[in-house]
Amino acid sequence: MVASLRTTMRSPRWRKVVGDLWLHKARTSLVVSAICVGIVGAGSVLNAWSLLRRATHDEFDASNPASAVLRVDSVDEALLTKVRALPTIAAAQGRRSVLGSVLTSTGWKTAALTSMNDFAASAIGIIKPGQGAWPPSNAGIVIEHSSVDYATVSVGDSVTLRYGDRAGRAVPVRGVARDVGLAPGWMEHTVYMFATPAMLSSLGAPSTMNELQLLVRDRTLDRADVQVIARDVQKLVESEGHHVSEVSVPVPGRHIHAAQIESLLLTQGAFALLALLLSGVLVVNLISGMLTGQVREIGVMKAIGARAGQLVTMYLSLALMLGLIACAVSLPLAALLGRLYAEFTAGILNFDVSAFRIPWWAFVLQFAVGALLPVLAAAIPVARGCRISVSEALRDNGTAIRGESDGYLMNIRGVSRPVLLSLRNAFRRRERVVLTLATLSIGGAVYLGALNLRSAVIASVDLAFSSQQFDVVFRMTRAYPVDSMVAAAITTSGVSAAEAWTGAHAAISTPDGALNSRFAITAPPLNTAMLKLTIASGRALLASEENELVVNRRLLADEPRLAVGRRVTLLMDGRVATWHIVGTTDTGLQPAAYTSRETIEHLTGGVGATSLIVAVNATAPAAKLALVRQLRSDLVDKGFDVSSSQSMAEARSVLEDHLLMVAGFLGNMSLLMIVVGGLGLASTMSLAVLERTREIGVLRAIGAKHGAILAMIQTEGLVIAVLSWLLAIPLSLPMSIALGHAFGRVMMEVPVRLLPNGPGVVQWLGVVVAVSLLACTWPAQRATRITTAAALSCE
Amino acid sequence: MTNPLIVVRNVSKTFSAAAGPFTALDNVSLDIDKGEFVIVVGQSGSGKSTLLALLAGIDRPSQGEVHIGGTAVHSLSERDMSSWRGGAVGIVFQFFQLLPTLSAVENVMLPMDFTNSWPANKRRSRALALMERLGVADQADKLPSTLSGGQQQRIAVARALANEPAVLLADEPTGNLDSRTANAMLELMSSLVQDGQTIVMVTHERSARRFASRTVTLADGRIVANDDA
Ligand SMILES: Nc1ncnc2c1ncn2[C@@H]1O[C@H](COP(=O)(O)OP(=O)(O)O)[C@@H](O)[C@H]1O
Ligand SMILES: [Mg+2]
Repeated sequence: MVASLRTTMRSPRWRKVVGDLWLHKARTSLVVSAICVGIVGAGSVLNAWSLLRRATHDEFDASNPASAVLRVDSVDEALLTKVRALPTIAAAQGRRSVLGSVLTSTGWKTAALTSMNDFAASAIGIIKPGQGAWPPSNAGIVIEHSSVDYATVSVGDSVTLRYGDRAGRAVPVRGVARDVGLAPGWMEHTVYMFATPAMLSSLGAPSTMNELQLLVRDRTLDRADVQVIARDVQKLVESEGHHVSEVSVPVPGRHIHAAQIESLLLTQGAFALLALLLSGVLVVNLISGMLTGQVREIGVMKAIGARAGQLVTMYLSLALMLGLIACAVSLPLAALLGRLYAEFTAGILNFDVSAFRIPWWAFVLQFAVGALLPVLAAAIPVARGCRISVSEALRDNGTAIRGESDGYLMNIRGVSRPVLLSLRNAFRRRERVVLTLATLSIGGAVYLGALNLRSAVIASVDLAFSSQQFDVVFRMTRAYPVDSMVAAAITTSGVSAAEAWTGAHAAISTPDGALNSRFAITAPPLNTAMLKLTIASGRALLASEENELVVNRRLLADEPRLAVGRRVTLLMDGRVATWHIVGTTDTGLQPAAYTSRETIEHLTGGVGATSLIVAVNATAPAAKLALVRQLRSDLVDKGFDVSSSQSMAEARSVLEDHLLMVAGFLGNMSLLMIVVGGLGLASTMSLAVLERTREIGVLRAIGAKHGAILAMIQTEGLVIAVLSWLLAIPLSLPMSIALGHAFGRVMMEVPVRLLPNGPGVVQWLGVVVAVSLLACTWPAQRATRITTAAALSCE
Repeated sequence: MTNPLIVVRNVSKTFSAAAGPFTALDNVSLDIDKGEFVIVVGQSGSGKSTLLALLAGIDRPSQGEVHIGGTAVHSLSERDMSSWRGGAVGIVFQFFQLLPTLSAVENVMLPMDFTNSWPANKRRSRALALMERLGVADQADKLPSTLSGGQQQRIAVARALANEPAVLLADEPTGNLDSRTANAMLELMSSLVQDGQTIVMVTHERSARRFASRTVTLADGRIVANDDA
């Protein structure tokens, strides 16, 4: 069997197949590259997607994420026993999260400490032990995996933890664990940690459980069904004499960021498929070009007894071989890139994909596409080529030119002869040129669209922050008199303005008493000079006895019941009150609402504020930072209990980085397109050179110099490249809209910019010119090697 | 009295060209016996190649019949025609037409490969024996592009003989050779005839008549002379 296969492969006709692949190395590598680009592009997105799906399924679902979370004044065993007795509930547990600070090598950072009475018995949001000890004990805490780098600590280190104005305490870090339900600490700029209730007490923090986590029995329920169950639990909890301040029900089975990542991958997948399709067409072109050069040999082989079927088998095997070579290169590359990309993305999701394998079907699919693409591409030209009659095939001189639009271009006046010749030639193989043009111009459109998206993102971040005319926020652990706070800040030199704000968290309460997720209400003074809300509809806040509220677009998206003119019942700090929605604003990237400090004071009867808002004179980041440090220590000296400070510049850069990263991912797709486009140009030009062997020979015969031939081919390439650039400019309009929509689905809606950006247009011209010069190097070199004799001996 | 090897009966061939139908062969009849060396002469465009193509089963007559060795070539299906052609005729072209990616010996083996006519492990030695006879055995493993015109044409003849065809058809085999090499080629052909090979050859070489058993002259698609040597 093996021996007979070997003799078969050594037979002259198979030697010819291999010999042809080898003789036309450049064309072979073009075809292989075209397939590779398509497979690597689409395959790596597919691989990343399938890996992430596996990880999401196995890691996230296996962690039993909470179906609902109720914020309760206190959760004890008696209550848990009652809740667990409900038939719809599979599990219930209590939890407490506390915000404090942790001292790291780069200063104090926000610490989020999660506590449970019995970590080991936890059945909801199961935390995966990693390095070191698990669970946390009274002797030390466990840090969440994604916070390790951000906190610059490792197992065995001691960290200083502080709650409010209590004295800091050194606590050993005993282990690392992973909570896949959390957004990564490095993204949130928070150090997530797990600690026992006793540890919380020792820091002076509250340690009774105040979150009731639920797992419903039926995991197939949708969000509305779970909300009904959560409502029943809320009633039960309230009937037991407890207070509920929030009920949050996430979309079942959905990681917080999963939808975003999925949209991102789908958008990239769409581009990758487009690239695959275009490279498929490129392969069709290359293979029909290859066969054009083989017509005479086909005739000869038929004349000496080859049957059409034998020839079809030979040429399809040749195509299959190209596919196999391409697969050998592109499958491992796609697997590598897909894994890298999945690892990166999983980092955003706080998953670990390293333990997972790319599913076999992903490889099979890529292999099938890679191996069969050239065979399918070759099918029609091969069938056509091998059916040609012997006499016809023998008459073919291999340089047959079926020029289409030769005539009219020769008549353009005022254009020099060589340029005219290049132009005329550029239009010779219309479909081929159209394909190359399309690919290059789509690449350009994606590039320009991504630049527009980038500036739209920056503009909307600008917009989001333009409303905030201050540099830093100090949050206090309790309320202080307004005047004393402002006075304390203003005395520090370098502070240009200060205001005292207050705020609260509120949840919408429906008439039957059911609660929803909480959102933040920010309450600056009515005459604030530091918060400039842009009112999108309705009106701004007025001094009034009514509880006026302005809500932002994000909150409106989450709570469709809200609208200007509506009244809404809110549960805020244990107080139920009716609020009047007077306006909406675009400000803010999180669900949020705004009212005035005076309204809150009127409502609660309390006087004072919990936040100090400060603007400084300094503009340099380092000077700002120094000033903020100075101000914080001044405030502490004056007896204020500062729980945290947040710099706007830092908040802005964190946000901008993440948004631009996603915009960048979308923009990367232009890279894929330019590679496909470059290959298209290279193949178009090398086929053009091949088809015009005789013409170039004649040009040589009548004295055309080396440089003239080079210039002719390069000019042709440039004509196509520049045309594609011209096309990319109008094409970037719909592309900007499409990318804007994709970005809207992935991250947030941004005001789409349509007009292409000037420097970007110039840059892209540079890119296509460079790609064109590069792509035409080999065809042009080849053209100069054509001798008059060789060209004319063609017949 | 045996039957002729090749029987051409009232054959006409009409091409549809842009300017209208064009008759390249007009009611041609011709018998050729086994072992004959027939040369076909005539001015360019007189229909010589067309006649040869009909004999080779490369093309079909518009009218009339072509029988070779008892096979009605004109009535074969496209598929049967290829198989028949591979075994029954050997063709030598003016421009050699060796496959450039195959070595000389592989080119000679190719017809045996396509028609599966000899055991796979015997094909190479048979090809080498043929090349030996044509004096080009030492070029066996070279690529055609490295060989001279005369060497290439000898390899082409070896290839044409690979399947022991009943008839060797050659269309101006010396057209691309210098006169000295051309003469050597003609002598080679003549020696093949002496060994019993039937040959029909289109040529412009005057000296070819010397070797031929018969000269058929075509003019405007008709046979105007059919002279025994
Ligand atoms: N496929 C074809 N279509 C149209 N005309 C053809 C075709 N093949 C040959 N001819 C014409 O038939 C005539 C005879 O051609 P050919 O047999 O090649 O002549 P010769 O070989 O004697 O020079 C010529 O005028 C030629 O142009
Ligand atoms: Mg001829």
